[in-house]
Amino acid sequence: MILALVIVTALAFDFTNGFHDTANAMATTIATKALKPRAAVALSGVLNLVGAFLSVQVALTVTNAVVKIQNSDGTPKGSLTAGGGEALLLIILAGLVGGIIWNLLTWLLGLPSSSSHALFGGLIGATVAGLGWAGVKWNGDGSKLDGVVGKVLLPAVVSPVIAGVVAAVGTWVIFKIVAGVAVRYTRQGFKWGQIGSASLVSLAHGTNDAQKTMGVITLALIASGHWADTKSIPLWVKVACAVAIALGTYLGGWRIIRTLGKGLVDIAPAQGMAAQSASAAVILASSHLGFALSTTHVATGSVLGSGVGRPAGEVRWRVAGRMVLAWLITLPAAGLVGAAMWWVGDLIGGLAGALVVFLILVASATAMWRRSRRVPVGEHNVNDDWNPAVAGAAVPERVAVTAAN
Amino acid sequence: MSNLGFALDGAWRVLLAGLALGAGLPILFALGIRSLAWSAAGPAPRVAARVAGYGLFAIVLLGIALGITFIVATGFGKALSFEHIYPTIVAKKH
Repeated sequence: MILALVIVTALAFDFTNGFHDTANAMATTIATKALKPRAAVALSGVLNLVGAFLSVQVALTVTNAVVKIQNSDGTPKGSLTAGGGEALLLIILAGLVGGIIWNLLTWLLGLPSSSSHALFGGLIGATVAGLGWAGVKWNGDGSKLDGVVGKVLLPAVVSPVIAGVVAAVGTWVIFKIVAGVAVRYTRQGFKWGQIGSASLVSLAHGTNDAQKTMGVITLALIASGHWADTKSIPLWVKVACAVAIALGTYLGGWRIIRTLGKGLVDIAPAQGMAAQSASAAVILASSHLGFALSTTHVATGSVLGSGVGRPAGEVRWRVAGRMVLAWLITLPAAGLVGAAMWWVGDLIGGLAGALVVFLILVASATAMWRRSRRVPVGEHNVNDDWNPAVAGAAVPERVAVTAAN
Repeated sequence: MSNLGFALDGAWRVLLAGLALGAGLPILFALGIRSLAWSAAGPAPRVAARVAGYGLFAIVLLGIALGITFIVATGFGKALSFEHIYPTIVAKKH
């Protein structure tokens, strides 16, 4: 029963992961009208689905980078599996809930924060609450890039800068090259350039991110004794995760798409192509070199860089500042929620505790969804001009929401 | 080596690869667009510029094919090796 709650929550996280990250691949494509909004999210959704099925490799050790709840071969620590693995399941459940709540809150505020940071933050918080500070792998053992610092914090600082530099260089040179070329050539050309590069980002996203959830669910199955093979993932887990992330992508996190596509910079087609190519290249190159990073940070860095590199381009640094602030607090904030959930679950104990945690998740998700209906953002208005007056009026409300949470 | 050292070591490689592929390929693509536009701009069509334009597009397509190959290979637990200069698919090192 607790296992069922964990699986549902993990799939819910996968779903929020999908719609939170649609923007990474498609925000610029939508903003430059290379694709209609619906077509863009549909393409991205399908490619995420394909990408998720392509990940044959087992990402069972996904939590090993940051917390010590698994042995190095992927099996859960023996001390946590006593009594049907309840101790481990509660940590995972609390961590996932922390990740989802933070993902939903940043979505409500239209902030592109990292889903992987939210997941890791939640897990770290729940682990600290459940096992103490020593349960977290902070700094690795010095033999390779590892631990919270090496796998999460450093890449978060470095990767947006790299992506930004690449996108700025690309944008600057491209604008020089096509200066004076008739619009009928550039429009058509850059349209296909954008669709191609955005598709690569979507595909890479599907392979990377769906795998994390598959790993978490399989870990829960092993902990509760429903699965024993650490070399493969049950087919239904794979199908469920792939479908969840694809549906989430198709739903489209319109608020975040709007911020990334319209809020940060005004994107011209050539810029969109440069930004997406930079994202695709940086994501693929770093996963080739084993350098873990967040798609969100890369995509945002690219969009910013393309604004810097465009001659006479303008970057709304206030929006960028809000975003960086959200990145900084994603890990600790998701961690706090994860820790709080673990305490609640542990205090009540057993199945009832897990149920209460789950109900808190449902209640807060519903509240945030209702809240979002007051100022809906969807395909009808995702491309409206970024109006500082309206955005400014909305800010006090947003602050109030943050305080209430 | 500390985490910071590993991160900086990885960072400059990613930066180089990113500049080559992430900025280089779209720049070639833009050059291709410029060639095509120029080939049709004069009174008589300039065939050489047209060929050059499509040639540049072909290089970009190869780059994209490399990217897709990499994603698929990684998904199946393989890695791309560049030790023979042209990429080959090999078993992943752990």
